[in-house]
Amino acid sequence: MSSISELYDVSWEEMRDKLRKWREENFRNSEQIVDVGEELINEHASKLGDDIWIIYEQVMIAALDCSRDDLAWSCLQELKRQFPDSHRVKRLAGMRLEALERYEDANKLYDSILQDDPTNTAARKRKISILRAQGKSSEAIRELNEYLEQFVGDQEAWHELSELYINEHDYAKAAFCLEELMMTNPHNHLYCEQYAEVKYTQGGLENLELARKYFAQALKLNNRNMRALFGLYMSASHIAASPKVSAKVKKDNVKYAAWATSQISRAYQLQHLPAGVMLTSLALSISTKTPYTTAASAGVAVVIEIHGRRQT
Amino acid sequence: MAEPELLLDSNIRLWVVLPIVFITFLVGVIRHYVSILLQSDKKLTLEQVSDSQVLIRSRVLRENGKYIPKQSFLMRKFFFNNQEDGFFKKTKRKVVPPSPMTDPSMLTDMMKGNVTNVLPMILIGGWINWTFSGFVTTKVPFPLTLRFKPMLQQGIELLSLDASWVSSASWYFLNVFGLRSMYSLILGQDNGADQSRIMQEQMSGAAMAMPADTNKAFKAEWEALELTDHQWALENVEEDLMSKDLDLSGIEKDILITD
Repeated sequence: MSSISELYDVSWEEMRDKLRKWREENFRNSEQIVDVGEELINEHASKLGDDIWIIYEQVMIAALDCSRDDLAWSCLQELKRQFPDSHRVKRLAGMRLEALERYEDANKLYDSILQDDPTNTAARKRKISILRAQGKSSEAIRELNEYLEQFVGDQEAWHELSELYINEHDYAKAAFCLEELMMTNPHNHLYCEQYAEVKYTQGGLENLELARKYFAQALKLNNRNMRALFGLYMSASHIAASPKVSAKVKKDNVKYAAWATSQISRAYQLQHLPAGVMLTSLALSISTKTPYTTAASAGVAVVIEIHGRRQT
Repeated sequence: MAEPELLLDSNIRLWVVLPIVFITFLVGVIRHYVSILLQSDKKLTLEQVSDSQVLIRSRVLRENGKYIPKQSFLMRKFFFNNQEDGFFKKTKRKVVPPSPMTDPSMLTDMMKGNVTNVLPMILIGGWINWTFSGFVTTKVPFPLTLRFKPMLQQGIELLSLDASWVSSASWYFLNVFGLRSMYSLILGQDNGADQSRIMQEQMSGAAMAMPADTNKAFKAEWEALELTDHQWALENVEEDLMSKDLDLSGIEKDILITD
């Protein structure tokens, strides 16, 4: 079996830099990390110097993802030998126990870390993920709420909580969590878009208006967010089709929907997908003429379906 | 009329000025590493961490509250500032001013600070004064009054010498303060060799008590939050957006497949 360096003709420095890039940008491409990292550790350990410890950590987590228990165990042993009393290494040991589904032992380990250092966030978060892995989502939600009462600034945790609430269909609380995220990251178009989608799902005229506004904001932050563009179209046409709105609001929303339609056709045209353009404009023009918004969603879904089949 | 310039032996430059610079610099570097070794771990309590994050959240609410709907902003403002049980009104943290006598860790910290900083300065200053005494080292570029003479011309017994000519001890002190920027360059900010910063800290630190800050910080946040108003940034977002066509450059085919 040829090694990575032969296959791709890269030197060990390039492999190390690639690993660093993946580490800093939080990529989760575990199989690649395992391949590259394993070779680095086995062949070039002496040349890496002090970098090797953080590479051990990175490779260990990737190995747990790929069920490579042997590799995970050897990395853990090396780390334990070098840093015998470290909380960080203990957390990795706990993660390995979680991977083996020995949740009781993992919980005991995390509790011991917390006894030693009550401010350790990593151990707390692992305990919550154990609950989630076991499927106990209501307990996970409760624990996560308590955690967030202490550590209000933890954005990862807010996002996790919003996901949990969406799974439980508690959209109001999910919206709250996403608002926290939007405030701390006002320029992140993905949070705006997720928030808009939650509001859209909640339904009701006010929520649809909010959804439309936040889809527009997401588009403003990133002009290429197609999902937000489709969302804008959907929410605008939903509002326009609702019987309770005034004439002015209806007119405005029809205008917004028409604008969205034109932008979508432009996007497809730019990609030289004539069939797509025809179908899209057909579907959207049908839907804007009928008062039935289900037709609109059906039209859009048809377009997406056809594109999906073409590409695969 | 300018008085005749003194011509100093160039050996002085070679064997006095430069060695003093090196000595000061190296002593500073050694002090930095010693202070790292002697540093005691600062343990943060859960409460401190939690409070600092709450303050950050409140500040974020004030600054970026305009991105969330008005209702949500008011809800959060109410949570923080409500008269009866708003967070900032309700929580009072226990204030224990850490006086040096009662708090043993502060005492040891102060002692370590003194040992690593003040003591070497005195010792080395005295040694330099004793070794390099009896001659003029350098001239400060600005004129000084006669009152500086006994201070700056330690070993030189000349009454008529201009006060600008100084001895090696004063050159040493000049170096101690002047090499601060060199230390920042080489050792990074916040290094243990930065004496003047430490002396400033010691002077102001006597009055500083960390826990009391939390209550004051809460009060300040409460006032600031009371004043903030909600100006929704999304009022006219559709008009802004639709004023021109979208910039779709760089969009790839896969993105058109949404799922």
